[in-house]
Amino acid sequence: MVSRKMFCGSPDHGVSRRGFLGAAGAFAAMTGLDVLQSPSLAAEMKDKQKRVILLWLAGGASQLETFDPKPGASTGGPFRAIKTSVPGVEISELMPQMAKRLHHTCIIRSLNTRNGDHGSGAQIMMRGRKDEAALKYPDLGAVLARELGQADSKVPDYVSFYFATEGQSFAPGASGFLGARYAPMEMYKSMIPENIARLPGISDLDHTARADLRELISRRFNHYRTNSTLASHNEAYSRVRGLMASETLFDISKESQATRDKYGPTLFGEQTLVARRLVEAGVPFVRVGRAWWDSHGQNFETHHEMVPELDHVMAALIDDLKDRGLLDSTLIITLAEFGRTPQINASLGRDHFASAWSMSMTGCGIKGGACYGKTDALGNKVVDGEIGAGDLFATIYSALGINPKKNYYIGSRPVPLTDAHTKPVKAVLA
Amino acid sequence: MRALILMIAILSLLPARGSELLPKDKPIQQIVDHYIDELIKDQGAKVAPQADDATILRRLTLDLNGRIPTVAEWKEYVESKDPLKKEKLVDRLMSSPAFTRHQLEEFETMLAQPASGGRRGPGGSREYIARVFKENRSWDRIFRDLLLADEKEKGSSDFLKARIKDQDRLTNDVSVVFFGVNISCAQCHDHPLVHDWKQEHYYGLKSFLARTFEQGAFLGEKDTGVVSYKTTKNENKTARMMFLTGKVIEAPGMVPDNETKKGGKAGKKNDKDKSSPPPPAPKFSARAALADVALQSDQRQFFAKNIVNRTWHRFFGRGLVTPLDQMHSENAPSHPELLDWLARDTAENSYDLRRLTRGLVLSRAYSRASSFEGDRQPDAHLFAVARIRAMTPMQIATSLRLATTAPDQFSATLKADELDKRIEGYESASRGFASLLEQPRDDFQISVTEALMFSNNDRIQKEFLIDAKDRLIGAAQAFKDLDQAADLLLKNVLVRTPTADEKKAVVEYLSARKDRPLEALRQVVWALLTSAEFRFNY
Repeated sequence: MVSRKMFCGSPDHGVSRRGFLGAAGAFAAMTGLDVLQSPSLAAEMKDKQKRVILLWLAGGASQLETFDPKPGASTGGPFRAIKTSVPGVEISELMPQMAKRLHHTCIIRSLNTRNGDHGSGAQIMMRGRKDEAALKYPDLGAVLARELGQADSKVPDYVSFYFATEGQSFAPGASGFLGARYAPMEMYKSMIPENIARLPGISDLDHTARADLRELISRRFNHYRTNSTLASHNEAYSRVRGLMASETLFDISKESQATRDKYGPTLFGEQTLVARRLVEAGVPFVRVGRAWWDSHGQNFETHHEMVPELDHVMAALIDDLKDRGLLDSTLIITLAEFGRTPQINASLGRDHFASAWSMSMTGCGIKGGACYGKTDALGNKVVDGEIGAGDLFATIYSALGINPKKNYYIGSRPVPLTDAHTKPVKAVLA
Repeated sequence: MRALILMIAILSLLPARGSELLPKDKPIQQIVDHYIDELIKDQGAKVAPQADDATILRRLTLDLNGRIPTVAEWKEYVESKDPLKKEKLVDRLMSSPAFTRHQLEEFETMLAQPASGGRRGPGGSREYIARVFKENRSWDRIFRDLLLADEKEKGSSDFLKARIKDQDRLTNDVSVVFFGVNISCAQCHDHPLVHDWKQEHYYGLKSFLARTFEQGAFLGEKDTGVVSYKTTKNENKTARMMFLTGKVIEAPGMVPDNETKKGGKAGKKNDKDKSSPPPPAPKFSARAALADVALQSDQRQFFAKNIVNRTWHRFFGRGLVTPLDQMHSENAPSHPELLDWLARDTAENSYDLRRLTRGLVLSRAYSRASSFEGDRQPDAHLFAVARIRAMTPMQIATSLRLATTAPDQFSATLKADELDKRIEGYESASRGFASLLEQPRDDFQISVTEALMFSNNDRIQKEFLIDAKDRLIGAAQAFKDLDQAADLLLKNVLVRTPTADEKKAVVEYLSARKDRPLEALRQVVWALLTSAEFRFNY
């Protein structure tokens, strides 16, 4: 008795994503050209490839001091709300630059994600759902690496910056059941990825020649053998030289001083600029972690310091992507593991709060200026348009043109990108 | 049509009647080849020839001792004219202490795996497994020990302790590891695809484990306790203590546990206090009841088939049922009679996994070539071509060290126990490097992170490409003749006769770099170590 086909036939995956970039990508791959140096190739990639920069506000930024201010309310705190470029929508006075650009951005004010724990909250907000006992879900970056990346890409498909020590262990990038192929290049300490630079003991020419010899010796073995794991081994080595060439993508000294000034000299600003360089070169997903927003004490000092930086970096990124014609194909997400309590505690802090908080999206597939959902006068609960993490993920996938109901297969079991009952927020989609 | 397929599928899972199976007294390898060849013939598929001696030696040494062979072992094996040389090789490898050590690695990974996502952890019960494998304790005993978690069996409680904080994970891990059944779907609703698995199966199995709690450094088990759950229709139900077969155990104390009701979990106070005494044993142990029912002769099909299927998977790279955790009526085995025969044989021979292992690796099906030169590749489930398998982290790390050690360190005259001692040392030294690599699984994808590490991390240079006298590169430096050097490098890493093309390529590479001979040697060895051939057990 023949068992029915259990796997989705993983050799196909590579093939299905190949050719995604069409002629430009294939040409770039063949010649190893640095895409950034070739305006016409960059232009063609621009049209087709979609990508995401996630500004991850680790520790939980306050919605009241950012996108859902409650001026005058007992929970409102000392900051005012200001008018924005979208009539009728106000945000915190700590974000004056974003106020001028809000017509590019949508705000969702009605997240109820039901988990106020840093670790599991961060997992839910990175994966769109909770892991099962025996099933680890891939996070947003891993899914997009697979959906938007190329099998034989010359650049990494998922890069994650998280230099802070606070909260670093809470949501490391996780490719879950998709496996190591889609695991992130994690940047914890250095602005240059691990093992991407050639060792001093070998010349560049020999490094290439030795890789060619490796391929030559492997050829005999590859002959008459078809196996997806074997294919992945050869593919991994064939990507090494390209990735090494992408080392310069991580080097912001290649940018003009004027551009660097726009993002600012902060670590967050510089990493966001690297993120822009990466997506421009075709990296589908970059996360920039900014920590640590966990303001149990002195919430207002913390946000007075951190929100203006976020405001500045977001605005610089939007302007820069717009100038380069990349804003339509790049989705900027600001998201945290949860928001903060409207109630102000005795240490003038706000605590963990997952039942009524906010996030924003800008760019690719997003209706600029949309403001979705509503919380009550004090900000204690959602009164209109409540959504969960799964709905948010369905919205993100839809904005990128990916069907949120698309299935992956674990053995015979179909696993949709988002859970069955979730649906996208159409009101914020372009 | 669909109904018919379903019916056939269900019939195939029913234990085939004993009278239909081939007789019990035949050697395992004959049975394997009988059933495997039958299906191949039935499908009219072509078969790969038997692999050559060097390949068989490499495959067996990797599978049974966790490393590649030495050049001396290779020469001895290919030159031997003994018609029984393969049987003798298998027996030599299986009687080596390295067999037990490698078996330990494999089982630790299997036991740890579901909970830790492929990484090692205390759930692998390494300490306990290492001890009982040395005495060849049978698999049913090990299963019972791990479930009973008696502190007198030192280390046996690690499997449960690593999972006790999450009873759902514990339930599913027990089910996956010992019964080959992943019922996690049935936690929230009746399984959408598999009619076998209802919520009552999931909570039935959980009922055996839910009375277990942690107290200080010990595990305890309560005399009462039931599991209740909500159906998708929002009905509240109380689970019966039910095994996967549907067999219900009439257990005492099927009432809600009072202490939990009051809000203070038994032992909760002492949870953190590692000095608190072990809780008293229960009058009725639900975990012991689970071990009993799972091993009963009319209930043991899950337990027996699971270990056969996992052992088969280990040597053939694919289960008779695949994936390994999907043993149910809608996922029929490729060879139902073979699985039944092997499960019966294993159960009736006190779950002796050495016996099963020996039989499997002596089959012709195991010894086929992994390359197929015909135009139509036979389906994988036919086992007509050997499946190549990515090596495990420990296999790679130990083999890397072996491949880069000068051949004179393993002369043909070296005594078996001396060789083993040296290799045991390599294994210990390899653990650190192994931890950098990923444990392979079905449909494993090798990551670019691995390729980047091999390409640019100085650890590769320092551990495998140094030119000390007792290492490969040191030995190769002694040759003035590039032909001889190339021959040495190729043989030592690939452990087979190099082809003329390969030799030519290496000689050319070396002679183009006469101004930097050491670098040239390093680069060649690097290219060999990172070749597809070295990375796989083929």
